[in-house]
Amino acid sequence: MRKLLLRSITAVGAAALLTLSTACSNEREGSSSSDSAGSKGFSKDSLIGVALPAKTSENWVLAGDLFTNGLKNAGFKADVQYAGASTTVADQQAQISSMVTKGAKVIVIGATDASQLTTQVKQAKDEGATVIAYDRLITNTPDIDYYIAFDNFKVGQLQGQALIDGMKAKKPKGPWTIELFSGSPDDNNSKVFFDGAMQVLKPLIDKGDIVVGSGQKDIKQTATQGWKAENAQQRMDSLLTSAYSGKKTLDGVLSPNDTLARAILTSVKGAGKPVPIVTGQDSEVESVKSIMAGVQYSTINKDTRKLVAETVNMIKSLQKGDKPTVNDTKSYNNGVKVVPAYLLPPVIVTKKNAAEAYANDPKLAPLTK
Amino acid sequence: MSRITDLQKNLFGGTTSNARQFGMISTLVAIVVLFQIWTDGLTLTSGNLIAVVSQYSYILILAVGMLMVIVAGHIDLSVGSVAAFTGIVVAKAMQEHSLPWPLGILLGLLVGAAIGAWQGFWVAYIGVPAFIVTLAGMMLFRGANQYIGNADTVPVPEGFRKIGAGFLPEVGPDTGYNNLTLLLGLAACAGVVWREWKARQTRREMKADLAPLWVIGVRLAVMVAVIVFATLRFAGGRVGTSLPISGIILIVLVLAYSHYTRNTIGGRHIYAVGGNARAAELSGVKLKRVNFAVMMNMSILAALAGMIFVARSAASGPQDGLSWELDAIAAVFIGGAAVSGGLGTVSGSIVGGLVMALLNNGLQLQGVGSDMVQIIKGLVLLLAVAFDVYNKKQGRFSIIGTLTRPFRRDDPADTAAPPAAASDVDKTKVAG
Amino acid sequence: MTDTAPNLLEMRSITKSFPGVTALAGVSLVVREGEIHAICGENGAGKSTLMKVLSGVHPHGSYTGDIVYQGKKARFDGIRASEQAGIVIIHQELALVPGMSITENLFLGNEPRRRGSIDWKSAQRRALELMEQVGLREDPDTLIKDIGVGKQQLVEIAKAFAKDVKLLILDEPTAALNEADSQHLLDLLRGFRERGITSIMISHKLNEIEAVADTITILRDGRSIESLDVKADGVNEDRIVRGMVGRELDSRFPDRTPDIGEVFFEVRDWTVRHPASDERMVCKGSTFNVRRGEIVGFAGLMGAGRTELAMSLFGRSYGTWLSGRVFKDGKEIRLKTVADAIGHGLAYVSEDRKSIGLNLLDDVKTSMVAAKLSKIARRRVIDPVREHRIAEDYRAGLRIKTPSVDEGVVKLSGGNQQKVVLAKWMFTDPDLLILDEPTRGIDVGAKFEIYGIIQRLVAQGKGVVVISSELPELIGLCDRIYTVFEGAITGEVARADADPEVLMKQMTATKKSPTP
Repeated sequence: MRKLLLRSITAVGAAALLTLSTACSNEREGSSSSDSAGSKGFSKDSLIGVALPAKTSENWVLAGDLFTNGLKNAGFKADVQYAGASTTVADQQAQISSMVTKGAKVIVIGATDASQLTTQVKQAKDEGATVIAYDRLITNTPDIDYYIAFDNFKVGQLQGQALIDGMKAKKPKGPWTIELFSGSPDDNNSKVFFDGAMQVLKPLIDKGDIVVGSGQKDIKQTATQGWKAENAQQRMDSLLTSAYSGKKTLDGVLSPNDTLARAILTSVKGAGKPVPIVTGQDSEVESVKSIMAGVQYSTINKDTRKLVAETVNMIKSLQKGDKPTVNDTKSYNNGVKVVPAYLLPPVIVTKKNAAEAYANDPKLAPLTK
Repeated sequence: MSRITDLQKNLFGGTTSNARQFGMISTLVAIVVLFQIWTDGLTLTSGNLIAVVSQYSYILILAVGMLMVIVAGHIDLSVGSVAAFTGIVVAKAMQEHSLPWPLGILLGLLVGAAIGAWQGFWVAYIGVPAFIVTLAGMMLFRGANQYIGNADTVPVPEGFRKIGAGFLPEVGPDTGYNNLTLLLGLAACAGVVWREWKARQTRREMKADLAPLWVIGVRLAVMVAVIVFATLRFAGGRVGTSLPISGIILIVLVLAYSHYTRNTIGGRHIYAVGGNARAAELSGVKLKRVNFAVMMNMSILAALAGMIFVARSAASGPQDGLSWELDAIAAVFIGGAAVSGGLGTVSGSIVGGLVMALLNNGLQLQGVGSDMVQIIKGLVLLLAVAFDVYNKKQGRFSIIGTLTRPFRRDDPADTAAPPAAASDVDKTKVAG
Repeated sequence: MTDTAPNLLEMRSITKSFPGVTALAGVSLVVREGEIHAICGENGAGKSTLMKVLSGVHPHGSYTGDIVYQGKKARFDGIRASEQAGIVIIHQELALVPGMSITENLFLGNEPRRRGSIDWKSAQRRALELMEQVGLREDPDTLIKDIGVGKQQLVEIAKAFAKDVKLLILDEPTAALNEADSQHLLDLLRGFRERGITSIMISHKLNEIEAVADTITILRDGRSIESLDVKADGVNEDRIVRGMVGRELDSRFPDRTPDIGEVFFEVRDWTVRHPASDERMVCKGSTFNVRRGEIVGFAGLMGAGRTELAMSLFGRSYGTWLSGRVFKDGKEIRLKTVADAIGHGLAYVSEDRKSIGLNLLDDVKTSMVAAKLSKIARRRVIDPVREHRIAEDYRAGLRIKTPSVDEGVVKLSGGNQQKVVLAKWMFTDPDLLILDEPTRGIDVGAKFEIYGIIQRLVAQGKGVVVISSELPELIGLCDRIYTVFEGAITGEVARADADPEVLMKQMTATKKSPTP
């Protein structure tokens, strides 16, 4: 028994010494250069981290799969992570830290809350990683290198125009009654979509051709917390009860994306009202079906494939040490600096052009026939 | 078996309280070793350790308060909302009314104290169960957060960010390490040795058995080795990093609250109230005051945790604090507290919290998705407690049993616990 | 019953150990069909463990030895298995749901069903039958919390009948019952014997055992010492005591020469209202006093208001105080909180150790110092050395049997737990100690020691109030006895005049004081 004791003690001692010796390998050296991003390139099989928000829309799920495959095909090691559904911000913070720890050379971030990642982005930058904001611009930090997204202002404009076109087709003469919905207030894009749409709608509202039934025209009133369908549905329910009791009809609803559009439609149907013109975005399967069935009016095709492919291209040029292509170096100020951006053009899709727009999409093309 | 327990007792401190920690600490060590191997040594790198500490310090701070709440026989579901509410109030005050950040921290603590007083009042003086009061608080303060913040994200000034994302400054000669962290490590080693010596003196005064010197030597060697290792890791991160300031706040709180719960009259009273409220009352414990203090303290710590998170995120957002209460409660129960109150230790809860944190971190390093991480965490919580319950029933070795006190309410000698005993005090008294 | 009756149950050399202790060391028990078999022994002798082995709480395989039941070897792996065989155990602490009716409790877990839902009609009918069998006359819809402990006990027994009982085990059935209810229960047991139902009864009340049992098995220190045939062996209480403690007890009370001083504690016109009812008074203008060095007894039936009086004095821990004043050493004192009461040198040892006297999660030393932590603390920080030393002193002084003061109180026997509670209150250094049923559920040896402790306390000039349901105890111990009936003090009897008859008369209310 004593022997066993002695032996275990020596083992413990040895282990302690071992840990001590490894502890002496200090990590301070690797931190000399932090502005290396993009200038020297990195090895071809490096780790690329992709941090995406919670799986609340199909789009993010698709993007994740595309990133995993795209990066693998390009020879990189990919680490694609989604935030948890109820603990989004904290999860994403932890995930980005982990990617930094694992030595990711590029970190692509689809932010859940665009202004709460300052610390992690700085950490990434300090460790020499390049940070690309994907789809959502990360604010209040100097440590972000690129921004890649669809032209979201354009998205808003297209939505606004589609709403007007749709209502005109149904009821040639105004005034038309509409309701406005916008996205989550913690997503930088929400405001951009909304402003784009309002640029088109405002003149008509001012003229009195378009009336906002509830009078709620401010982005704070129209916001949908967390992009959650249930929140949009709740708001629509109460709008219908408060502003559309009796025979009053609703001609159109500006919805920033498909998930919310469907929630809004569910609410309207539940109230037994005729289906209004509802816009959308993201080309989700259910919404494309709905458009083909003549329920939802429009969506936006922001081909996630293209966006992911462009992002991977960007990473490839970073790997080689080249400057990646950008096409906008003026418009995206995140509060600290102007972030060089690469913008892709969005496409509006209605029942008319659906077959053409989704011709290359294996999942959506069959739905349009 | 008895030799092993003897050894365990000797190595982990002569007193039973230390021996209890054995099970949970070995689980923690096992998790660390497992992930260290699995992630090819990433788990114990400086960068990762620093990240883990700053990521989870606020949950651990909540766990400290939650332990006391649970020991007193209550629960607090509102901590996440209270944290979020405090965060937005402080952020707004600093941004819109340009309150200097030190005053911002003070304001946050005051807000926490006020909320705590509110909840404590209902629990202690009106007698509404804490579950209900804090469920109400959970909704109330979440709503208040959104009302004040308009569901916006409000950035906080640079100085304030220090408490969540700050590090010790680099001072003195270039040693290749963060010098202040080294000094802290040195102090910790000295503290450990001093405590050991002090404990030995106490035992001598009690005329209790003294552990042989070699045992103490080994024990000290292990502890000092761990501290030295941790110190070098935390001091040896990237230039400009060190032991995070939030980690220092956490350590100070853990030391203070461990001392309070273990060694002071107030601490004893919390255990007495949770163990048997009526008996405590008849022993002269001021029940209401204890309940009030425990609830209030929790809200103050929640406010602090909220501010640390906001500081780390550089902004207060509408998602802050979501499901924090669950993480804190899970940590406390994994750490061996009893659902019915009266049992549990601060250090146990911290170990429980670390188990969760390292599990989270290790799985993330491994690239496991957050959905799977949640599933695994849920199972770990369930299994840790179930394994313990099962073993206790069988009268065998129990992980959590060794961690907590060796006896519990439902001792085998007392299985026929009557529902009547749990019923109103009134009845027992009528039978006069 | 005759000697030729076959054996219903034989337990052969049962041995059961827990980590660190052997609870039973080769215990044997033979129970014949149709008899009342009493099991006696001091607390910790192994009675409860033996019954747990029998009822399958400790399942087959966790002990060694054989159980032969109805001629066959039985291997119970749980309570359900033993109940199916007709063995039903009724614990001292009743397993009833207070908020449910008698019927619901009777069929809990065993509800008569018809097409998937509970058939309340037939349940009602069966309930009445069962209640008839145990002589319980109540509306079966009455809630359990609305009937007294005695009737609750009967419900428990009726529940056993619902399960088709062959062997009924009663653990301390009369511990919480008053005289009349106890008598009823014992009669009931005799009735069962007539009907051929076998009973095993664990009890500390030796007079009851002597009156009702056919056979007595005595356990001591986890061994079966002897089995006595009550009629043939001419058993009496002293004989049982000798078996239990292994020696003769010369006297049930230690010798003492009273040295009684001045009146130092006085209560005048103490009136307290019931916490839940506006009209019911639990104390009606009670006036009494205690002298230094005096043991004062309070006699009364269950529910007479003795505990209520004590607890309402002790920091208003019961009911709503209406009027009354308290004087100590001639000065009026205010006792609004427990802390006040402790501060003024009062101590109250409750009748219910487990539910309100002790924190069962605590260890011995923490329990002992719990009522006056400030005595072992410096600037609110507890000094572990002092705590340990004090606990060791009490352990030695009160001869508390525990392996160490770090042991959990839960592991101690009832008598030793009671000593821990006494130590807890002695540590507050009180002038007046109120002891509520200080020897309930405690074995003979420990009782004797507790009497000794009480006498030592009064010898130091303290006053002691003893509340007890056992008249012999009061008469043997006290210098003066107050009788209580329905919240009012109905009499005061000096030691010399105290005999059970006199007391009983006053306790049952011949003289009523005017109600306010």
